[in-house]
Amino acid sequence: MMAASDQVCVDLPILLSSFVDAFVDFSVSGLFFPTNPFPNPNLSAAAAATRIPAPSRLVAIGDLHGDLPKSLQALSLAGLVDPFSARWTGRDAVAVQVGDVLDRGGDELRLLYLLHRLKLDAARAGGALLTLHGNHEIMNACGHFRYATPAGLDEFKRWGFWYRSGLAMKRLCADLDSPRDPFKGVPKSFPGIKEEFWEGIRARIAALRPNGPIAARFLAGNQTVLVIGESVFVHGGLLQKHVDHGLEKINEEVREWITGLNGGQAPAYLRGREGVVWLRNFSDGSDCDCSHLEEVLAMIPGARRMVMGHTIQEQGINEVCGARAIRIDVGLSRGCSNGLPEVLEISDGVKLRILTSNPVYYERLKQDKRPWRPVAEEELEGLGILVPETRPQEVEAKA
Amino acid sequence: MGQAPSAVEDVGEEAPPPPPSNGPSPPPAASSMEDLIAEAMSTTDNDAEESLEAKAQRALECPCVADLRKGPCGIQFSEALVCFIKSTAEEKGSDCVNPFIALQNCIKANPNAFSKDILDAEDTEEEEVQEYKIVPPSWSKESIPKN
Repeated sequence: MMAASDQVCVDLPILLSSFVDAFVDFSVSGLFFPTNPFPNPNLSAAAAATRIPAPSRLVAIGDLHGDLPKSLQALSLAGLVDPFSARWTGRDAVAVQVGDVLDRGGDELRLLYLLHRLKLDAARAGGALLTLHGNHEIMNACGHFRYATPAGLDEFKRWGFWYRSGLAMKRLCADLDSPRDPFKGVPKSFPGIKEEFWEGIRARIAALRPNGPIAARFLAGNQTVLVIGESVFVHGGLLQKHVDHGLEKINEEVREWITGLNGGQAPAYLRGREGVVWLRNFSDGSDCDCSHLEEVLAMIPGARRMVMGHTIQEQGINEVCGARAIRIDVGLSRGCSNGLPEVLEISDGVKLRILTSNPVYYERLKQDKRPWRPVAEEELEGLGILVPETRPQEVEAKA
Repeated sequence: MGQAPSAVEDVGEEAPPPPPSNGPSPPPAASSMEDLIAEAMSTTDNDAEESLEAKAQRALECPCVADLRKGPCGIQFSEALVCFIKSTAEEKGSDCVNPFIALQNCIKANPNAFSKDILDAEDTEEEEVQEYKIVPPSWSKESIPKN
C-alpha cells in the first residue's frame, strides 16, 4: 500500500472540482481563470465601496448590450484592453461600465466572462474595472426576457448544456458533496412559448435568477451607485428620495437581493419610471430639470456631476446643465443603434475628455496619442470643429 | 487595493469543502497535492515534470474518478484531467486546450456520457417545480391560431 497514493486520492476530489469548473468555463467562454485569483475582484475594497477617491485616470463606458466585438472596440479606444488578446492594458486606471451588458445581443455570457477576467487583470495591475447594474440586469434577474435575442437565448442554452455536464461529472465522484442544482424548481415547459426555445428560457432563468450561478458569480459584484471623486455614476439617474434612502444602503440591499439573501422582490427604487436604473430625467434630450439635478448633487458631498448610461445619445457622448449631467450611452451594440464607440475620460479627477472613434475628430491624432474631443459644446465650437447634425453611420466591416 | 470583508457569497468561487475524513488518518509523511507541486517546482525541471506526471497517473487510480473513466468519453476525460493536474500555468489548464476540446467533442457526441442515473434526476425535477412567472421575448411566443 502506497502512502502517497492515499493522500493523492484524498486531495483529488477538490482538484477534480477545479478541473470541471475550468472545463465548463472554457466551454462556455473560451477563457481560463486563475484558480486562486488575487485579489478576488468581488471582495476588493473597491468593489464593496460606494465612494472611492478620484484616481489619476478614470474612464467611463456606456451600455454594451451583448456585443463583444463592439465592446472590445470601446475598451481598446479607451486604452484599457488589447483588442486581440483581450487582456487589460490599462495599468492602474479605473474603469466604470455603467450597466446593460445583457439583452439585445448574443454575446452576453462571453461579455460577462470577459469583464470578470478583466476585473482580475485590472486588480493585479493596481487598477480596477467596476460594473454597475443596468435596468436590463435587473429585468433578467426578475425573469423579464422581453429584450433577449434568439442568439442570446442560444448562448444560455449552451451554457446550460455545459453547466449540467459539469454537474454530472462532479456527481460521479462519490467523494464530492453533491453540487447544488440551479435548475431545481425551474419549469421544463412554458405554455405559450414555442417549444424550441424552452431549453434556452430554462437555462436563462436558472442562470440569472437571484443566486443563480451567473447572477451570483458575475452580477453580485455590481454596484448600483458609485461616487468616484466628484463624479456620481448610475445607470439611469438619482432623485432626492434615492439619496435620502442612502447610497450605501441601496448598494447593499440590491446585492442582498441578487444573491438571494432577501428572498423577495427587487427593491422598489429599482422599478418603475423613477427607478435608479430606469430614470431618463437627466438624459433625454436637452430639456432636463437642471435645478433638480443641482439639488441632488448638493446632497452628495463633493459631487459635481452625474454620469449616466441607459438613454441612447444619437450625437454621441454629451452634457447638459453646465456639464453636471453627462450622458455616455452611445447605442454601441449592433442590437441598438450600432453607435460609434466613445468613452468618457476623467484625468486627475478634474480634466474631462471624450475619447472618440468619430473620424470628424481625427485631426487630433496629429497632436495626441488618442483621438479625443471636449465634453462641453462651447469648447467644441471654440476649436472651430463643426458638430455634425448626425453622426456618420458605422460601416459594417466583414472580418 | 486592500481586502475588505464582503457580504457577498460568491457561489462559483467559494472555498472548496475540506476533504471528507474516511478510514484511517493520513500518514504523517504524506505529501498533499499542493506539497507535491511545490516540491516539484523546487527541483530541476526534468524531475518536476516526472514527479507531476507520476502523481497525475496515480490520481487516475483513485476511486473518485473510477466512474468518470468509464463510458464513451473515459479516455478523453482521463487525458484532459491528467493535463490539468500537470498544468503549472497561472491560469491552470490554459495549456490544455487540445485535450479539453477533445473532451468537448466527445460529450457533444455523447450527451449522456457522464449521466449517473437519468431516471432519478428526472423524478426530482417533476416534483419541485415552482410557480414561475416570466416575460418571454415576443418572437418566442406561440402564434395564436386564427379560427
